[in-house]
Amino acid sequence: MKGKKLVAMLLASVMCVGLLAGCGPKDAPNATPTPGGENTQPVGANYEKVEFDDQKYTYLMSVSILPANWNPHTYQTADDAVPLDYMTDSLFTAVYNDALNPVDGMDPYMGYKLIPAMAADYPVDVTAEVKAARPEFNIPEAATSGYAWSVKLRDDLKWDDGTPITAQDFVDSLERVLRGELLNYRAADYYDGSYVVANADKYSLQGTTSFKGLGMTVAAYLEQGGKVEDLYIDAYTFWNCDESYTDADGNPLSQYVSVLDETVYGEAVDDAFSGKELYDAYFAPGAEYESMAGDYMGTMVEYEADYPMSNVGLYVSGDNELTFVFRNALDGFYLMTYGMSTTYLVKTDLYDSCLTEREGVWSSNYNSSVETSASCGPYKLSDFQRDKSMHLVKNENWYGWDSGIYTYVDPSDGKQYDMYQSTDIDIQYVQEAATNKTMFLAGQLMTYGLQAEDFDQYRSSEFCYAIPGQSVFGLVMNGYMKVLQEREAASDFDKNTTDLEMMSVEAFKKALAVSIDRDDMCASVSPARSAGFGLIGTRYVYDPETGALYRDTPQAKKALCDFYSVDPANYGGDLDKAVAAITGFDPEAAVGFFQQAFEEGIEKGYITDNDGDGISDQTVTIQYALSAEASAFMEKTLAYLNESIGKAATGTPFEGKIKFIFSAVLGNKWSEAIQNGTADCVLAGWSGATMDPFGFADTWTADRSYWTNWFDSKAVSMTMTIKGEELTMSLRDWAECLNGNMKTVNGKEYNFGYGQVDVETRLDILAECEKTVMGAYVTLPMLADGSMALLSQQVYYVVEEFSPIMIRGGIQYLKYNYSDTEWAEYVASQGGTLQY
Amino acid sequence: MVKYTLQRTLYMIMVFFTITFMCFVLIRMLPLPVLPPEDVHTKIVMMRREALGYNEPYVVQFGIFLKNIFTKWDWGLSEILYYGQDVWSIFVQKLPATMVVNLYSIIWTIPVGIALGIFAALKKNTWVDYTISTLTMVVISVPSFVYAFLIQYLFCYKLQWFPFLMKGGTDWFSWPMFISMVPAILSLSFGTIAGFARTTRAELTEVLTSEFMLLARTKGLTKTQATVRHALRNCFVVIVPAIFGQFIGILGGSLIIEGIFGIPGVGGLTLKAITGLDYNIFILSTCFYTAIGLAASLVVDISYGFIDPRIRMGSKK
Repeated sequence: MKGKKLVAMLLASVMCVGLLAGCGPKDAPNATPTPGGENTQPVGANYEKVEFDDQKYTYLMSVSILPANWNPHTYQTADDAVPLDYMTDSLFTAVYNDALNPVDGMDPYMGYKLIPAMAADYPVDVTAEVKAARPEFNIPEAATSGYAWSVKLRDDLKWDDGTPITAQDFVDSLERVLRGELLNYRAADYYDGSYVVANADKYSLQGTTSFKGLGMTVAAYLEQGGKVEDLYIDAYTFWNCDESYTDADGNPLSQYVSVLDETVYGEAVDDAFSGKELYDAYFAPGAEYESMAGDYMGTMVEYEADYPMSNVGLYVSGDNELTFVFRNALDGFYLMTYGMSTTYLVKTDLYDSCLTEREGVWSSNYNSSVETSASCGPYKLSDFQRDKSMHLVKNENWYGWDSGIYTYVDPSDGKQYDMYQSTDIDIQYVQEAATNKTMFLAGQLMTYGLQAEDFDQYRSSEFCYAIPGQSVFGLVMNGYMKVLQEREAASDFDKNTTDLEMMSVEAFKKALAVSIDRDDMCASVSPARSAGFGLIGTRYVYDPETGALYRDTPQAKKALCDFYSVDPANYGGDLDKAVAAITGFDPEAAVGFFQQAFEEGIEKGYITDNDGDGISDQTVTIQYALSAEASAFMEKTLAYLNESIGKAATGTPFEGKIKFIFSAVLGNKWSEAIQNGTADCVLAGWSGATMDPFGFADTWTADRSYWTNWFDSKAVSMTMTIKGEELTMSLRDWAECLNGNMKTVNGKEYNFGYGQVDVETRLDILAECEKTVMGAYVTLPMLADGSMALLSQQVYYVVEEFSPIMIRGGIQYLKYNYSDTEWAEYVASQGGTLQY
Repeated sequence: MVKYTLQRTLYMIMVFFTITFMCFVLIRMLPLPVLPPEDVHTKIVMMRREALGYNEPYVVQFGIFLKNIFTKWDWGLSEILYYGQDVWSIFVQKLPATMVVNLYSIIWTIPVGIALGIFAALKKNTWVDYTISTLTMVVISVPSFVYAFLIQYLFCYKLQWFPFLMKGGTDWFSWPMFISMVPAILSLSFGTIAGFARTTRAELTEVLTSEFMLLARTKGLTKTQATVRHALRNCFVVIVPAIFGQFIGILGGSLIIEGIFGIPGVGGLTLKAITGLDYNIFILSTCFYTAIGLAASLVVDISYGFIDPRIRMGSKK
């Protein structure tokens, strides 16, 4: 179970990266379509346009893994997708809000706007027409909008060789990525998930039998006439197991097991179950996890053979016009990014020539060399040497150069510039960080990511930029009493000198929490990171239409103030000042908590004080879970924890009696060890799904929790006043309700999911959940992830402010101080070594 | 000699197939990367594995592998590292860079190393010998990647004589390409020079004190004549196999040096194939290195017959 959300979040994150090239404002669908090629963007009538000279400006970058396959249908890693950032385009694109693209109520460059790119205009909702004319898409009878959208394409779209790109090319490309016999890795992106094209699964999986999620409770399924014998459980996902689970005869477990199957799997790994047991215990009507059946149960569906592509929800509906039909209703940001993603666009004749069939298995080398590559983006591949380098030059056939779309007004001088000043992009494979550094200092790279040893020298440099990470790393602490006692009962455990049970005492965890100075820890252990106080990082956007950040909301700030007992009134009611004052470090409080923990430990018999010296006889020994040999970071972390907590415990009953040690190397099992309580702590955090911080509530509170198996979020009660009504539910129920599940309180149903209530209410709930989870001390927030990099003096960012959506504008908004020739002269004049 | 050569060749082929089969089975026994069950792509990857025959018995898989090679010279496609690309062409494309860099290195390291060894042996127990021997020990003790970083820092960064990375392209024997290879060549050379110098000095020192050398001098040969005609020839019984060993190294490449200087060679390919579980690349690399290694040992064995008359005479019995 633990992997499910993580992967979903990672996927969502990856999707964001891939799709953020194009989006549009929420009111855009009402816009009137215009003929292709006549874009409606204002083209700087009032701003002096500055044309770039014809000199060469090369963006020099290094990678530790050079892309080998950037076929949009088959690439599997972010490394391989790097060239796609430059060689592909999208129907809609995100640009900074500036004088040319203003957003009401927002200062220039403080947000972004979604504008048509390959599209000639914003999409138009045609749900009603399509529902009437094309019943095969199964648009719900009650639906009046959001399911079908038409979009006009520009009429000047071309491949880099000048071949026109038409609406039919998009359809043909989708057909190829979905074509079942090709088994394209990326096919599932278009038929599985929340942003899928209608009937794409039927075309791609035609003639096969496949698991289809139930999406409802078993009771509801049965009410609709479903049969129990048709139900299967996704055992791998639900039970967090795999084919290593075998039955008595050694037969491996299949991913999907029938609910009637009584075969027991996994006796060898002491976690045995049968499909029937799982069903009866968890998902049957009235069972413990009945409401989650939709996520883990399903039926085996036989997909009809010879399903026609014409029934798939993407078709040419007019002169260079596409109509998208989705399985779920979409709108605004999600429609124009995820829904209308056209990453699958390929040059079909070249694509077909690259297909190879061997032994009945199809492969393709499309987009793996200059000869097999095609570009519809601003750059095209001009040179490629495997595992060595790749070079891209401007794609002269890209519509963007003359469209007037890709232009901005620089706030520093009020003049208008074209985006993409870089004429060339040079990507070198550089393996060693030391080589990267010397190349950067010699002016041969645009950026250099600081290593631990560089911080003292460069962190104050005017060319140094911080890049916030997504995660907040918290110190996950063991509190699994049953397992702690089992470990203490082991024959080789000396209870006279060592203790584990104290880890379950809340006062003890509180003492640990306030013993650590986060800022000092960052400086000592990982200078690129910053102190982390909440569970959600600073990059999480709760409203993708505006780019508004969760951490910037009053709700999130107040949650932190409440948890860390910082009263905003002491700061004139200024929440920002109050949050800035939070340190999480309170050695005086630590003394009190240690004393309280000692007394509780003595009373419960966890520890002893036989000599009556007021100091615990036992040393609380806390095992830090190691996945691999300890890195320098881990060594420093452990040393810091021992030092700072040892210092805080001085003069308390735990003076010299708390010790952090490394576990044995646990490999991939480290998270399991934390969950099942056989390891005691680890610094860990979650990332992904940066557009959905609300999903975190689900992550924190899931059954068989992501952090631990012992934290029972159903046993934690949380009371809030929502629109004047006081509601009390378990933490788990709040989280589920926040993520779209209906919950009944006092006979009344509530659903606080997306679109069900206003976003302010959802933020209130999320912030309260965050505070409540922190109050359980399952994990102690420590470090906000981040990195730092030097930027070459050859260039500068038009916008220095970091934005999770726009980053710093990317290569579009990068401006040059020197052309290549001037740069070479400048570097030479500095003796070949630049000072940063 | 012919019979001996044929016999050794036959043994070599048998060993080749045995090693190949063992490697084939062992690599396929490695667990494939665990697929996240709820990842939308998992189903496709599993279907593809099934289609590729990964679930067939190993012997069946090996049979298909051999059939494709012998009938179509088809070593398969890369499934992970270079998805959909022919592994033979990948391997062949990467081979020249490794070979050229190592060839340049060997071209000057062997004569220089042997010359230093001869010089030290002839000047035995003088300051020249002590200097060469000491430097040799120091150089051998330090790994080549340490030189690589020092050379890169000094010659590429500080003095700016050479580029940081090997030049791109396939103009292997152009002057700019050679210049860009110099840091890598130097990094590879120091250890080899020291190795040859030490071996040569040790062998020659021993031979020079042999009784037959005294006999040669008493027969009227000059010291130079005796050394070149008799002493050096005896030394080569040890040195020649070492030279062949170096040539095998040409093909093997150097993972670390290739990484530091951006040489797109075969050095890291095998390792990447193992860690990435890209079966076809790994099997091709294994077959290649096995064949080269066996061929080299065959050549070394046969070369003894030409260098050392005693071995040639022995084979006639």
